[in-house]
Amino acid sequence: MSGTDIVLQDVRKVYYKDRLEIPVLEGLDLRVDAGDFVALMGPSGSGKSTLLHLIGGLDRPTSGQVRVGQAELHRMSERQLTAWRSRHVGFIFQMYHLVPVLTAAQNVELPLLLFRMPARQRRQRVQVALDVVGLGDRMDHRPNQLSGGQEQRVAIARAIVTDPDVILADEPTGDLDAATSSEILDLLRLLNSEFGKTIVMVTHDPRAAARSRRTLHLDKGVLDREELHAATPTGAGA
Amino acid sequence: MLRLAYLYRNLTRNPMRALLTCAAVALPIAIYVLSMSVVDGVNRFLDNSARQLRLAVTHRSSIINPLPAGYRAKIESLDPTRTRLLSVCGIDWIGGKIEGDPRPLSTLGADHDTFVQTFPEYRLTPEEIAEWNRDRRAIIVGAAAARQFGWKVGDRITILPSLPPYQPMEFRVISTAPRAEDPLTLWFHRQYLVEARKQAGWEEERVGFYFIKCASQADLDHFRVAIDELFANTPDETKTQDEKAFMNEFITQQFNLPRNLTILAAVTVFVAVMAAANTMSMNFRDRLNELATLKAMGFRGTLISAIIQAESLFLCAVGGLLGAAGPYVAFNHTPLRDFTVPLIQQLDVRAATCGKAMLMAVGISVLAALWPAWLAARMNVVAALRSLE
Repeated sequence: MSGTDIVLQDVRKVYYKDRLEIPVLEGLDLRVDAGDFVALMGPSGSGKSTLLHLIGGLDRPTSGQVRVGQAELHRMSERQLTAWRSRHVGFIFQMYHLVPVLTAAQNVELPLLLFRMPARQRRQRVQVALDVVGLGDRMDHRPNQLSGGQEQRVAIARAIVTDPDVILADEPTGDLDAATSSEILDLLRLLNSEFGKTIVMVTHDPRAAARSRRTLHLDKGVLDREELHAATPTGAGA
Repeated sequence: MLRLAYLYRNLTRNPMRALLTCAAVALPIAIYVLSMSVVDGVNRFLDNSARQLRLAVTHRSSIINPLPAGYRAKIESLDPTRTRLLSVCGIDWIGGKIEGDPRPLSTLGADHDTFVQTFPEYRLTPEEIAEWNRDRRAIIVGAAAARQFGWKVGDRITILPSLPPYQPMEFRVISTAPRAEDPLTLWFHRQYLVEARKQAGWEEERVGFYFIKCASQADLDHFRVAIDELFANTPDETKTQDEKAFMNEFITQQFNLPRNLTILAAVTVFVAVMAAANTMSMNFRDRLNELATLKAMGFRGTLISAIIQAESLFLCAVGGLLGAAGPYVAFNHTPLRDFTVPLIQQLDVRAATCGKAMLMAVGISVLAALWPAWLAARMNVVAALRSLE
């Protein structure tokens, strides 16, 4: 294993509801090499989001091993996972989850508060992140002054501002129209190809999945099949 | 800077809610400050009474039953040399008010020949003492009462007593007692009251109660027992106690102010905790996705709890500041400074009481944020995000 490869071995995840055992992942094995761009697809309840949460250290497996780079997430405490997330993972959510009362720049700056960093350096990094997503001129806009696509771009800037190894996107285009979705996917591809970010993206949209390097299909908690994609040119439409 | 901006904007994202919460904290804190100011005033009044080495002799059955006028001579006979039992002063309370003015007065008739020695804390000047002894209609008015009613030395005032003879009595102000600690009470010659009562057909002379000035604490303890023994097995048995105990009993019987005000303050503070806790819980629920996202980013649970605690602290501190500063300014720097509490003292709102109120506000903020902060610390990001999908 090298760099920030993601390796899951015999991962099982069970939820409990009213003493009822609900297995979500059933002995799943997975490897995502550093710099890969993987889409996770599957019907509702197939375990896509759970898998994403396990890779992101938001949740821990019932059994099995989850390694991201040198970190053995299955062995780490809640506190260790929290600290690890702040340095190694950027999250992008379907509903953006921006803080509505803060400007775009302030939203992007939030994760940097966890680092010992002079304010000037923080502002420089925020500027760079917003420039990367094409919103350098919208720094002082609040979320309600931005379109859905722009909000998601701010969320992406927030996810990359700490320069994480891995970006985890949970249906990042699920709330956007086709054209805007395509722009967001272009941005993710750019982060993957130009900045070397490892990206794992959950999606229901086959056209979005097709913009990744490969798609992993999950069904009933196990990997069903894998689909490799030819390089799709930027702006090819979602 | 961003931390402050985040705190400020969180608080102002629902201005009406923030405003109402501040008010819900400010009002109980103001009630707390006022209540505790009265309680502190009562305690200072009682402590002052304790320092005076005085005994109060009342009827054993009840303070409202007067004692025979002849008791003064009998009490004085316990120490004919006046070395231990310095003076005996018969006193009658008539309350009263000025005709056409609803504000109640605390007016007492005292034996004029022993008043000055029994109540030296009034620190009357030789000229005032001479006037007091010369004029049977002389009246000493407390400084606050003089300010309230606009009285000055030389003024003639008419008081309508709340007790017999129930007829207007005319007085001449001979002092506004500027050096006295009690700013409210009015003192006049009891003999004038006796005469007024006789003229109105109240023949029998009785005395409401006696105050006795002692030379030392040992004398106080001695005569407290000796006086009651002197009148034991008579139709008018006495109850002798030191002035602090007497005043405390009097205040408790009349109003039970300290206890009731303390209960009132406690209840209002509890209401403030409930109101602030409700706001903090609503804030937490409204921002669950945001807080879950922060946690996903790597904000520790304790840090998110601290954000909630800080918001609660800010809200309650603003409310507490308004609630404490309001009464302080009003009762120290506006005409309300002359406001008095019947039978007790001038309402003295002190900075120390306001300081305690601010600490109370901090306590309210901690309690109000306790539950949402605990929920935030233990928040499961996955469950929180899933609940919003």
